[in-house]
Amino acid sequence: MKIAVCVKHAVDEAELKTDPSGRPVLAGAVSRMSAFDKNAVEEGLRLRAAHQGEVVVFTVGPADSKKTMKEALAMGADRGVLVVADTAAIDTMRTAGLLAAAIRRAGPFDLVLCSEGSSDTYSGQVPPMLGELLGAAFVGYARKFEVSGQLVRVERSLEDSVERVEAPLPLVASVVSEINEPRYPTLIQIMQAGKKPLEELSGDQLLPHGEYREASVVSMSVQQSARKRVLIEGSPDEAAAKLLDALTKEGVLAK
Amino acid sequence: MSPAVWAYSENEGVSNEVASAAVEVAEGASAEAVVVEIGALREGARSPGAKLLLKGPASPQVSPEVAAEALARAAKQAAPMAILIGATRNGREAASRLAAKLSVGCLSDGSKLGTDGSTLTAERNVFAGKVVAKLSCPLPAVATVKVGHYARADAAPGETREVDVGPIQPLVRVVGREKKAAGAVDLRSAKVIVSAGRGVKKKEDLPLLEELAKDMHGALGCSRPLSSDLGWLPEEYHIGLTGVTVRPDLYLAVGISGQLQHIAGIKDSKIVAAINTDKDAPIFQASDYGVVGDLYQLVPALRKALAARR
Amino acid sequence: MAALDFGYLTVYLLSLASVVFAGLMVVRRSKATSVSIGPRRLLGLAKDETRRLMSGDPVFLMHLSIALGIGVTIANAVMDPGMGYLYPLKVLFLVVSVPLTAGLIASFVWRVQVYSRSKKEERKLGASGKFTSASTFLQVVLMLAIGLTTSELVLLWFPSMVYADLLLGALRNSLVAVYYSRPSVNLVGGFDRPLSALKTPFNLADVMSGKTDASQISVGVSKVSEFDRSQRLTFDSCVEIGACEAACPATAAGRPLSPRVLVRKVSLLARGPDAGASPFSAVGEDELWSCTSCGACMASCPVSVKHLDIIYELRRDLVTKGKVDKEKAALLENLAQSQNPYGLKNASRADWAREVGVGTLASEPGAEYLYWVGCISSFDQRAQRIARALSKILRQAGVSFAILGGEEMCVGDPARRLGEEGRYQELALQNIEKLNSYGVRKIIATCPHCYNTLKNEYPQFGGNYDVVYHTQLISDLIREGKVKVPPEKVQSISVTLHDACYASRYNSVFDEPREILGATVSDVREMGRRKEKTFCCGAGGSNYWYKVPQQKSIAGIRAEEASETGAKTVATECPFCLSMLDDATKVAETGMDVRDVAEIVADCIS
Repeated sequence: MKIAVCVKHAVDEAELKTDPSGRPVLAGAVSRMSAFDKNAVEEGLRLRAAHQGEVVVFTVGPADSKKTMKEALAMGADRGVLVVADTAAIDTMRTAGLLAAAIRRAGPFDLVLCSEGSSDTYSGQVPPMLGELLGAAFVGYARKFEVSGQLVRVERSLEDSVERVEAPLPLVASVVSEINEPRYPTLIQIMQAGKKPLEELSGDQLLPHGEYREASVVSMSVQQSARKRVLIEGSPDEAAAKLLDALTKEGVLAK
Repeated sequence: MSPAVWAYSENEGVSNEVASAAVEVAEGASAEAVVVEIGALREGARSPGAKLLLKGPASPQVSPEVAAEALARAAKQAAPMAILIGATRNGREAASRLAAKLSVGCLSDGSKLGTDGSTLTAERNVFAGKVVAKLSCPLPAVATVKVGHYARADAAPGETREVDVGPIQPLVRVVGREKKAAGAVDLRSAKVIVSAGRGVKKKEDLPLLEELAKDMHGALGCSRPLSSDLGWLPEEYHIGLTGVTVRPDLYLAVGISGQLQHIAGIKDSKIVAAINTDKDAPIFQASDYGVVGDLYQLVPALRKALAARR
Repeated sequence: MAALDFGYLTVYLLSLASVVFAGLMVVRRSKATSVSIGPRRLLGLAKDETRRLMSGDPVFLMHLSIALGIGVTIANAVMDPGMGYLYPLKVLFLVVSVPLTAGLIASFVWRVQVYSRSKKEERKLGASGKFTSASTFLQVVLMLAIGLTTSELVLLWFPSMVYADLLLGALRNSLVAVYYSRPSVNLVGGFDRPLSALKTPFNLADVMSGKTDASQISVGVSKVSEFDRSQRLTFDSCVEIGACEAACPATAAGRPLSPRVLVRKVSLLARGPDAGASPFSAVGEDELWSCTSCGACMASCPVSVKHLDIIYELRRDLVTKGKVDKEKAALLENLAQSQNPYGLKNASRADWAREVGVGTLASEPGAEYLYWVGCISSFDQRAQRIARALSKILRQAGVSFAILGGEEMCVGDPARRLGEEGRYQELALQNIEKLNSYGVRKIIATCPHCYNTLKNEYPQFGGNYDVVYHTQLISDLIREGKVKVPPEKVQSISVTLHDACYASRYNSVFDEPREILGATVSDVREMGRRKEKTFCCGAGGSNYWYKVPQQKSIAGIRAEEASETGAKTVATECPFCLSMLDDATKVAETGMDVRDVAEIVADCIS
C-alpha cells in the first residue's frame, strides 16, 4: 500500500508574540509540526505495518519546514517531499493545488492522509480540496480505517454521531485526533532521520500562480493574552445571571 | 435576475443560521438571499429568504460529496455571487469540495460576513482563538459560516424555485450512522465542558453537575482526585496533563482548586469560568470569570437561569 | 585430637577443598567481570557495611550474622587440626558463636517470612510456575546455607561431632561457591556506586559536532544479550533476598512491579537458551513505568544489585520504539517544545519573582548564588510559595542571589528518568551553556531532582558547580546566626518530616532539615521510615507526569504514615513531595497541613 501523508509546519500559537500595534508577529515565529498531523503520520505508519508498502510525507511551506519533515521521518516515514512556497501568501486552494501536483508527481498513491485541520488556522479545507483535485474518493474526519482489497471501511466522527462509510481506493482522507496516539520520536531518532531521502521542490515551478482565485488575509489582531480574572459577586441567583450574561457575550454558550 | 447569496447546511438548525448570514450579506450587496435545499424541502425549514430546491438526489439526507456536486451543478448555471455553508464537519467538507469544483476561493468558519465591492469578507479566529483575522476572497466565493454565531430567524417560507441537477453517483457510500453515546462524548472535541473537583463532597452529588453539563450542551469532566484517587468517575473524565488535554470554547471548573497539572491541561480553552468557595484558589488566577461561592447553591441557580433563558 | 587418622584426613581435606573451591570461584568470577578484589576495596566495603549496620537496618544485621557465621565456621574448619594449640581462638569462636547463632536463627525465621511474602507477591503479579520454582529453589538454597551454618556453630560445642561439622561445612562452602561467589564479587565491585549513576549511551555534544555518527547510536536494550557485562553481573547476582521487594513503594501500592521479580525474570531470561530474546517477553511495560526511581531497592540490597539499570535500559527501549502513552508523550513534547513539563510559556517562569522583587542574573550578574528555582516552583502557585519563602530567608540573611528566570529550562531529570536520554542531554547542554556564560559558581536548589542532576550529573557534560540544597544552606545560616529565630517565634506545632528520596537517599541530606525543624518548631515527630530509608511520595522517576495501575496510592500510604505520628503538619523538602502529599492528605481527609521546611522557617522570621 502506497500511502502519502500531508503535514504542515505551523506557527506554534503558544509561542506567538504580539507587536506593539497588536498584530501577531509571524515572521520568524516558532513553528513546528501541526499537532493533529502527527495523528495522520501515525495512522500512515500503522497502516503500513498492517499492509506493507511505503509512507511518503508531503508538505508545502517555507524551507524551515524541513524541521517538521525530519520529525515525520523520525516517526518512521520512508521519505519526504517538501514543496517550498511562501505560506503566508497562499490560501487553501493553492496549498491543495501544490500538494496535488507533488503527490501526482511522486505517485500514484493508494491512500492520502491528512489531519482534520492544522493547529494554526484549523480550516480543514485542504483535505477535501485535495480529494477533488486528485479525482479520488474523499472521506473526512475518519476515526477508524479497515482496508480490505480495494475497499476501505471508514468510521467518521461527526459532531454527535458516528457514520460508517465505504470508499474505494485510491482514497484521500482526513483523520481526527482520537484515531490514535501518535508516537514520540526521540531526539536521536530525529537526528538519525537526517539521512532519509528528502526531496525539495519549488512551489512556483510546480504550479503557476493564477490557477485559482486566491483568498487572502487582510489583517490580523491578537485578541487577548491573559485570562480576564473577573470576579463575579452577588447572591447565587445574581451571580449565576451575571455569569451567564458574560458567557453569552463571549459567545461561548452552545445554543 | 439580481445576484444571489446562497445558504446551505445539511443540518436544519444550522441552515437557519446560515440563512440569517446570507440575508445580511445579501442586504449589503443588494443581492437576494436564497436558501438552498437538496432533494426535498425540509418540513421545519422556516428560514428567511427564497428557497431553491435542487432536485436529483432523492432525500435531503445527502453526504457532503453529493451536496457539493449538486451545488456545483446548480451554481454553474445560476452563478451566485457567494455560497455560504454552515461550518459543521460535513459542511466544511461540502464547502471545500465545492470551491475546488468551481475553482474559487473559500473562507472558513466566518463571522461578520460581508461584501466589499468585488470581494467577500469575513472575520475568523485563528491560532486557537488567540488571533482574529480579517479575510477576503474575490467573488464569486464560497465560505463556511461559524456555527452558533448568527441568530436563527423564524420566517414564513418564501417562494420556492426548483432546479433539476440530475442524478449523482457518489464514490463514498454511507452504510450507517449511530448517535454517539451520551457518556462517550469526546472531551477533546467538546465545545463546553463542566468539570468537577474536590469541592464536590460526595459521589452522589455528581449528577448535579452532569445535569448542568447537559443543560449547557456540554460534557462532564473532572480533576485528578475524583478519578484517580477517589474513583468517582472513570479515567476518561480526568482533565489535566496526566489525563485529557482539552480546548473547549467554555471550560467551567466547579469546585476545582486549580493545581497546575490541571490548569496546564485546559490552557487552550477559549474561556475559563470557575466556581469555588476559596477565594484564594489558584483556579481564579487562571479564569476569565470567577464566582466565589458554594457550588451547591450556584449550580442550581445556574440551571434555573439557563432554563429561564431557553 | 587423634593422631593421623585416615578418615579425619579425608574429611578435613574435603573441607579444605571446599574452601579453596569457594575462593577460586570468587577469583574466577572477579576475573570474568573485571572486578578487582584488593585490600583497599575490601576495606572500603567493610567501612560501608559498618555504616549501614550503624543505621540499625535489621536486614544488614542478619546479613552480618550470616557472613560472620560463614567466616567463623570456615576459620574453625581450616584451623581444626591445630586447634589443640590455638585454644584461646577456639574459646573466642565459641563465645562469638552465641550471638551469631541467635542472629542466624533470626535470619532463618525472617527467611521463612520472606518466602511466604514473596510467593504472595508472585501470585499477585501472575508469575509463571517456572519462575516460581526457580525463585523457590534459590530461597531454599539460602535457607539451607543458613541452616547448615547454624548447625556448624552449634556443633562447635561438641568436639566429638567434628566429622559432621566439617562435612556440613564442606557442603555449605560448595553452596557458597556455586551460588554466592557472584553476589560477593558484585558487592565488592558495586557497593560504592552512587544511586544516581546512570549509563550514558552517547554524548549529544559529540553527535552534534559530528564526532559520533548518529546512525551508529543505539539506545536502550531490546535483546537480553545487549546488557553489558557489569549489568549482567548485577542482575545475575540476585539470590532472592527480597529486601528490595519489602522496601519498594510500587510493590506496596500494588502496582505490577516487584524489583526482585523483575531482576530475576531478566536474569533467568538472559541465562536461557535464546540470547536474542526480548526482555519484554518476560517484562511488562507497566512494570517498568511503575518504578519511581526512589532507589529503595538498590539501597536495601545487601549484595548491591542495581535494579534501576534494568529499568532505565528497558524504558529507553520503549521510548525509542515509541511505546509511550499520551501522558508520557505529552511530557516529552512539552520538554522539547517549551523546555518545561507543563508546556507553558517558559518566559513566564520569572512572574512570581517579579512580584517579590527577586532579580535575574541578567540584571544582577554579580550575585553570589544562583537560585535554581525548578519548573514546579516557577509555575505552580502552591510551589511558588517555597520560592518566595526561600527568597525571604536569603534576604534576611543578607545572601546575595538571583535567578535565571525565563532563561532557566527544565534540568532534564524527567526526560532522563523516563528514558529519553537525548532530550535530557539537549536540556543539560543548553542549561550548562547558559550557566557557564554567566560564570555561575554556586547554586541553591529547592527541588531535589534539580539538585541531584546539577550536582551529580551535569559535571559529565561540562557543568561544574558548587551545588547546595536549600535545607543545607538554611541550617548553616541558622547555625551561623544569620537567620535568627527568636524564641517567641518558634512555632508550637507538631511536625513530622517526610524525607525526599533524591535528597536523603540519593545525596545523604537528612540531618539538616531536622536541625532546621529543631530550631523552628516545638514538637518534631519521626516516622518509622525516614532518612535514607524514607518512603517515596510516588512522584519520582517521572511518575508525577503519568499514571500506572495500582491498588492504592503511594502518596496515600505515606500520608497515612505521617498521620500515624499524630503530627498536625507534614514538613516536606521537595515541591513534588509537597504536591503529592497535599493531595493525599486531602483525599484521606487527615486534616494535616503540608508545608516545605523553608515555608516553616519563613514563618518564624520577621
